[in-house]
Amino acid sequence: ETATAPDYESAEMYTRAFRVGTLGLGWRRLLGPPDLSLEEEAAEEGDADVAAALGCVPGTAADLRAVCSIDMLMSSEKEEDPDVIPEDSSLLTLRIRKKALERREETIIVDRACRQETLTYEMESLATGKRPDNPTDLIEEGELLLTLNIFYPVIFQKHKDHKPYQTVLVLGSQKLTELRDSISCVSDLQIGGEFSSQPDQAPEHISKDLYKSAFFYFEGIFYNDKRYPECRDLSRTIIEWSESHDRGYENLRSVKMEDYVFNDLYLKIGFPYLYCHQGNCEHIIIITDIRLVHHDDCLDRTLYPLLVKKHWLCTRKCFVCNMYTARWVTNRDSLAPEDPCFFCDVCFRMLHYDAEGNKLGEFLAYPYVDPGIFN
Amino acid sequence: MNEVPGLKEDCEELLSAFQQADTVRFERFAELWRQRRFHTVFYGRIRALERNKLSKKTLDVALQYFLPPYSFQIRVGALYLLYGLYNAQLCQPKQKIRIALKDWPEIQRFQQDLVDSLHYDAAYVFRRLRLARAFHFTAMPKLLTYRTKKKIEENYLKEEFKDPSNRVNSLISNDVLEEMMNIHEHYQKMKRIISADKSQPYKALSLIKDDFVVNLKDITLEHQEWQQGRMKSFQSTKETDETEKREETLLKSEGSERANALARIKYRSYSAAVEVSKSRRHRQVQLESSESGSSCGKSPSRSRITSRRPQPARRRCSSEVRGEMQVAKETVTQHIGMPVITEEDSDEGEVSLPKRRR
Repeated sequence: ETATAPDYESAEMYTRAFRVGTLGLGWRRLLGPPDLSLEEEAAEEGDADVAAALGCVPGTAADLRAVCSIDMLMSSEKEEDPDVIPEDSSLLTLRIRKKALERREETIIVDRACRQETLTYEMESLATGKRPDNPTDLIEEGELLLTLNIFYPVIFQKHKDHKPYQTVLVLGSQKLTELRDSISCVSDLQIGGEFSSQPDQAPEHISKDLYKSAFFYFEGIFYNDKRYPECRDLSRTIIEWSESHDRGYENLRSVKMEDYVFNDLYLKIGFPYLYCHQGNCEHIIIITDIRLVHHDDCLDRTLYPLLVKKHWLCTRKCFVCNMYTARWVTNRDSLAPEDPCFFCDVCFRMLHYDAEGNKLGEFLAYPYVDPGIFN
Repeated sequence: MNEVPGLKEDCEELLSAFQQADTVRFERFAELWRQRRFHTVFYGRIRALERNKLSKKTLDVALQYFLPPYSFQIRVGALYLLYGLYNAQLCQPKQKIRIALKDWPEIQRFQQDLVDSLHYDAAYVFRRLRLARAFHFTAMPKLLTYRTKKKIEENYLKEEFKDPSNRVNSLISNDVLEEMMNIHEHYQKMKRIISADKSQPYKALSLIKDDFVVNLKDITLEHQEWQQGRMKSFQSTKETDETEKREETLLKSEGSERANALARIKYRSYSAAVEVSKSRRHRQVQLESSESGSSCGKSPSRSRITSRRPQPARRRCSSEVRGEMQVAKETVTQHIGMPVITEEDSDEGEVSLPKRRR
């Protein structure tokens, strides 16, 4: 398969479809071992090597090392404080930045990282350059790294313009099922059933265990999870619908998710695709980037798929104490001022049951899982 | 905020100064960079998260000047700029420079150009970046998030950094002129054959100007020189200009009539190379071998600091020929005004061609 370089299909928006693995082939063909190596940075090379590479004499190489040293571009003065913007800088960038920072100092009372910023920064950078203890877990040179934005299913009205998403890194050699298992969605934790009469009997199974089917959709192919006997082909309805009349879709196919790795996929970068689970919980997926792995990336393959960004969702608090995250929701509750009304576990029991555990008043109670539970 | 305010202006100011210095020497770039204390562009009390984003965007901005359609000199300047910015950034680990697969072959060609033209400092700088693994080898230049842009950003391009637009040359190339000359001569020959007097075609058949093709070539040549004169800001060393002119106007007959005609068509001579002093041995110029018909020639070796603009590779598809070629210019313009095409008086008996309605 000839590796043509990916290019835009819609300018600046998304690319033509291509097989992911060909990108790796394309790059590996053009680069040499030093480019692909995942060792820590190479040592300074000698004059002889430079001379050989550039076709000059070693004397010139020595000159080059002096003339083109990075010291030529750095400050010759004693320790400069990079936090301090020089007073009369000739750079417009700095003059503008100075004003912006001064304004920030005037208007913000406490200028330090809030917990969301800390979370974001740490997720982005904690795994940087991490090497595994077990050498077999080390990622191979030339491996591809895909960046995926997985959007939360629409839950809140306030998110309709900028849907929240998580960002995940996956390896080209990883199976689709590994990604599927790593996606944490609140709908997986839903517990079905009304439990006002038996609040202690929280069911053993959450939805994730009960409803195991899921699929990914990329470029006309549905990749269905078929690892367990309970798994059903959720895409069958769609395929039948598309084939029932000439609806203008190409042949849609259904295959097994566990048989494919990301390198096998045929897809466009920047184009929205779909992940569906729980029958009707749908997540848009966009591949935003694919590139070769670099020695500064996390190199422990057991940590992939690697979550590097997550949208912080504010959790709904208990109506009574306003401190703890809600774990119960009631309907038609004679003891509650609102319908529905949310309670944390402690307040829920204290209000609705007596010391012996008898139900007080009339109400329906359902276990509640807040979307922000993954914060 | 999608941009770093003021950064584009600062980069362009630096590259502009580099362009005006009319050189590709790293030493000179480093001077200009130090004058502006460009390494401080990352300064300011910024926390790590914001700093990462800022540095990434800064490298992105510089990268755009490294790729076509910018001129050779600007691209070398951009290479030096990337080198400086990559190393001056305060992030740990460093933010990388993203290169898309479709752009790498062009960069490889550029690197080869540098080596072939003996621009050792530029080649060395690129090598240092590559060995430091400053690049991310990606599918596409930017992250694609399916974000519909609210306002359509035009593809920004700083005109002054581009090579002068080549439309005249691409329309009227050597091949085109040669072909026209052939057709013209063939036509004249046919006319003579059917005429009574074999040495001269019927007067009644004189429907075009005989020296049409030669005039066209001359006009094209003038246009090109005018354009170059316009782009050149200051000429510091006059003597190299004179040498250039002398080389070009040197006449040397190649013998046959056809070769003469061909010689008159080829209006660019890359023949003689000026010997540089020992103190500039980085910039030793090397004569290039001529390969007739090679359209993708290498860049002319101008690795010295003169007022002559450093030339890119491949852009001129004219073949480089050893030895002086004749360039017979019928009219010479000394000033840098737009050449005026004068109507010549028609020869006696010539039938003037009616203007074609379009």
